[in-house]
Amino acid sequence: MFHWLEKRPFFFAVAVFVVIAFAGLIEILPNFAQASQPVVGTKPYSTLELAGRHVYIKNSCNACHSQLIRPFKSETDRYGHYSLSGEYAYDRPFLWGSKRTGPDLMRVGNYRTTDWHENHMKDPAAVVPGSIMPAYGWMFKNTADIDTAYAEQLTVQKVFAVPYNKEIPLADGSKATVALADSLEGAHASALEEAKVIAADMKDQDVKDAVAAGTIPEIVALIAYLNSLK
Amino acid sequence: MNKTVLAAIIVTIAMLGFTYVAVGSAGGMGGEGDWVNKLAVLGAVVLVIITSFVVTKYVRQMQNDTATGKLAEENWDGIGEYKNELPFGWAVIFLGSIVWAMWYFLAGYPVNAYSQIGEYNEEVKAHDVKFEAEHKNMDPETLKEMGGSVFIVQCAPCHGLQADGINGKAANLTHRLDEKSVKHVINNGGNNFKTDYPGGMPPMLLQDPAQIDAVAKYVASGFKADDAAGKAAFLAGTCNTCHGENGEGMPSVAPKINGFDTAMVTTVLKDGKKGAIGAMPAFNNLTEAQVQALGAYVTDLSK
Repeated sequence: MFHWLEKRPFFFAVAVFVVIAFAGLIEILPNFAQASQPVVGTKPYSTLELAGRHVYIKNSCNACHSQLIRPFKSETDRYGHYSLSGEYAYDRPFLWGSKRTGPDLMRVGNYRTTDWHENHMKDPAAVVPGSIMPAYGWMFKNTADIDTAYAEQLTVQKVFAVPYNKEIPLADGSKATVALADSLEGAHASALEEAKVIAADMKDQDVKDAVAAGTIPEIVALIAYLNSLK
Repeated sequence: MNKTVLAAIIVTIAMLGFTYVAVGSAGGMGGEGDWVNKLAVLGAVVLVIITSFVVTKYVRQMQNDTATGKLAEENWDGIGEYKNELPFGWAVIFLGSIVWAMWYFLAGYPVNAYSQIGEYNEEVKAHDVKFEAEHKNMDPETLKEMGGSVFIVQCAPCHGLQADGINGKAANLTHRLDEKSVKHVINNGGNNFKTDYPGGMPPMLLQDPAQIDAVAKYVASGFKADDAAGKAAFLAGTCNTCHGENGEGMPSVAPKINGFDTAMVTTVLKDGKKGAIGAMPAFNNLTEAQVQALGAYVTDLSK
């Protein structure tokens, strides 16, 4: 075997690569595969949350806000438990971000509420003195894109086997199910149901009226997404 | 004298010359400079000479040496290989690295390996021990001061730096209750504090708008004794049976409504609340000392 190999530089190089890569394969791959499994309690995004995630990406929130809490005491004091890789199992793409002009948002759903977000997105400096974040007034007028969110849900369910309509274990031992509608109309209806819960906690009359009339402003979807970050 | 030696001498002189140009004056060859510099220059000269000798030796060895020893049987296109003994030092290093590898595999890596999370855990533990020791018996002033700094980080984003609730966007903590909140609770009941007051409060104990207004005014203005109408409405709604005659509250039954105290603040932090203004999440990530400090600070705010 060796006599055969040593006369053939190309196959020799391949063999060397396999030998060297072997250690990497058995050490890195299994750990990696295990660490990227969803953490218990991590749920796929509902239709409205996913639409909000699209709003988040569309407005480049990730240019100023990270979603990655590093294991330092100063960070975990402020933002909560450090991030685990399995928590991003349903993030496509992940929104770690690389610069914190604003604070980290990985677990913002734990310490901010719907009405706070509403006040803040309308006029950040009125809630956080000295904030340089711009106001996002158009989110109160633009309509969220439920169609795209539903299309993404169908895709990730088919391609990546994201467990929609399946029981997902939660940290407290109970189970939860994230429903995925079987038609576009169904997806619109379930997103509207979610939106009504959010809108009930909001003060903006235009937003409330819009949701009552059956359209979902972007801000409602975004707040649903932010509230889901835990 | 052959060519190799001649080349070595020329290179040595050239390198010594370069050394002189580069550091000569600093090295005190002209009589100045301290002894550290002199030592460094001496080192440079020695290095140049040793290098020249060693290189010359091996170059000449390559030119003149003839190999000796037993040849291995195998040869590759006429190129053979000697069967020399493994040098002793190599053998020691080889065996030593086998022993080291066993130690590393069994103990070195699994027991002593670095872990980011491990370092984090140690950092937190060290901090907790230090914190505990430093803040064992805080006097009220220190407690209040600590509460102030916790407030700025955890509470001010919603309640404002002045704790005034930023124009009604959050609860005004300088004042226990306003009329709007009292009316909201009477109309909708209250079941916010599930841990400390599991019973909750039923809605619509009062239905007459005038009476509700009177109670709201009475409670919000701080149970003024001369407000007879308010007091009458308060009693009519049987508010006093749970909240007490003057709104001092009752453990496990109803919270204090005539002002803030540490117990009240602790209760809110434990369960969060949802009322007339909006929702507040629970803050269970705070340590016991921080909760006590916040209690002291908020109690002081409304005095």
